[in-house]
Amino acid sequence: MKKSDLDKVKIKQIPAQKRTNPFANVFDEFVGFCRSRSMFMLHYCTGCGAIELPPAMTSRFDMERLGIQPMVSPRQADILLITGYVSIKTLKRVILTYEQMAAPKYVIGICSCTVNGGMYWQSYATAKKLDEYFPVDLYIAGCMPRPEAVIEGLQQLMQKIKANEANSWKQYYKNYDYFLGNQQHLFGNNWQTPTDVIGEAETYQLAGPNTLGEHTKILQSVQTPLKPLEMKL
Amino acid sequence: MNETFLTITEVIMMPIVAFIIGLFMVLMMRKLAARIQRRIGPGVFQPLYDIVKLYGKQTQISHGLIHDIGIIMAVGGYVAAVTLLPVPGMNGIADKGGIITLTYLLMVPSLGLALGVGQCANPNGSIGISRALTSMLAYDIPFIIVIFGVATHFSSTSLVSIIAAQQVGGFGTWGISEMPLLALAGLFALHASLGKHPFEIYVAPAEIATGPMVEMGGKFLGGLFVMQSFQLYAASVLYVSLFLGGGENWVTFLLKCFAVLIIPFAIAYLFPRYRTEDLVRLMWKWPVMLALLGIAFVMN
Repeated sequence: MKKSDLDKVKIKQIPAQKRTNPFANVFDEFVGFCRSRSMFMLHYCTGCGAIELPPAMTSRFDMERLGIQPMVSPRQADILLITGYVSIKTLKRVILTYEQMAAPKYVIGICSCTVNGGMYWQSYATAKKLDEYFPVDLYIAGCMPRPEAVIEGLQQLMQKIKANEANSWKQYYKNYDYFLGNQQHLFGNNWQTPTDVIGEAETYQLAGPNTLGEHTKILQSVQTPLKPLEMKL
Repeated sequence: MNETFLTITEVIMMPIVAFIIGLFMVLMMRKLAARIQRRIGPGVFQPLYDIVKLYGKQTQISHGLIHDIGIIMAVGGYVAAVTLLPVPGMNGIADKGGIITLTYLLMVPSLGLALGVGQCANPNGSIGISRALTSMLAYDIPFIIVIFGVATHFSSTSLVSIIAAQQVGGFGTWGISEMPLLALAGLFALHASLGKHPFEIYVAPAEIATGPMVEMGGKFLGGLFVMQSFQLYAASVLYVSLFLGGGENWVTFLLKCFAVLIIPFAIAYLFPRYRTEDLVRLMWKWPVMLALLGIAFVMN
């Protein structure tokens, strides 16, 4: 693809519309309430923080009474729970997982390693701040936070969802160029994921002025279309 | 004309009633699991919250037309099946369909799921659905023998007349007291058809990432949650109609339905699961033997 062609890639922007029907607002609030009371959690247990989740889920603290359930597939999950340091190799998988989740999706970083690198600050192979690579809704600091702190954090997220403030997943579409730039900085310019984020942003009318930029241009120049896997016996 | 209108109303009402009762059955299942594991468990409306949330997802990831149709088939199979299951005051089209049509319809959801999962091209899903169909093959053999045994005993394939025959003499004429061996085999088949431990070979979250459900998100998973509540309702009502004398009124009917499900749920959360070949071997040995023995007594 020539450079002049790349400049033509533009996303149609549609101004946000307000819903005027009062019943629609009631319905939206009901859906928001259900969202806050039913959270399926995909725990990406990367580090030591994972050990605090079993007590939070089982009989001692019982997350299910708040409607929080563990799920095993990113397609089914609402919350991506990252519990500990994220090495660069892991970060690739985390981003693949994040992009496969259906929105509205929320990311929670547990332990200080996800906040600022923690004790891995000087490591060359560890991603320091998680929210440089995709939006994070909530950090639960501590090394490691106790199950009470985890549940407290999840309850804060519930309040945010109920108040319709947990919209950070929209930022990934609106500021895709920024996040992609940071990802390319770590993984190199050949980085691409199976999910067509720009296409999704366009389909769901979530594109903003910062969706496209210099980094998405690099992506579009190296992007190879996905092929179905070869079937072998 | 009036009768036609009544039938149409019943056919619309029965799936709605089934869905609401099914939601409470899901709630009972999760509550029971929680109590067995010494937890508090979810709130009363948790199954509803889950379904509303899943349908309210803002990005839906479909893998193609067949993926959508598969889920519709999975839910629709059960919706069609519950109109053939008589409940107190509503017979729907039960006297026209009969038990053999019902048996066919109860197989449609698994096949629909297989269609839908086939398009996802996820290896975990393919393994899961092949296991689901294998387990269907395993529990359908005793299930069919039980169905034929009951139909032979009452000389009828209509659920309405089977229930009427059981309600003549109270507990003494219930299927369970006249054909205890068939009832036991039927309970085995019921448990396996619910796909709960120890027969949970196709979900297996730790091994194949929930198998058929692995690529289902948003409305697709919501559809499967709806399907689950229909599945619990259909299985328990069928068992109650065949062996526990159906429902004289709503109170006893609901009591019987929930009581039937407590047995498999109470067993389910105490055991790990079988391997696929062990499940097939078990289902084709013990329930089939019991059912064949039971059918021998019936034909005597």
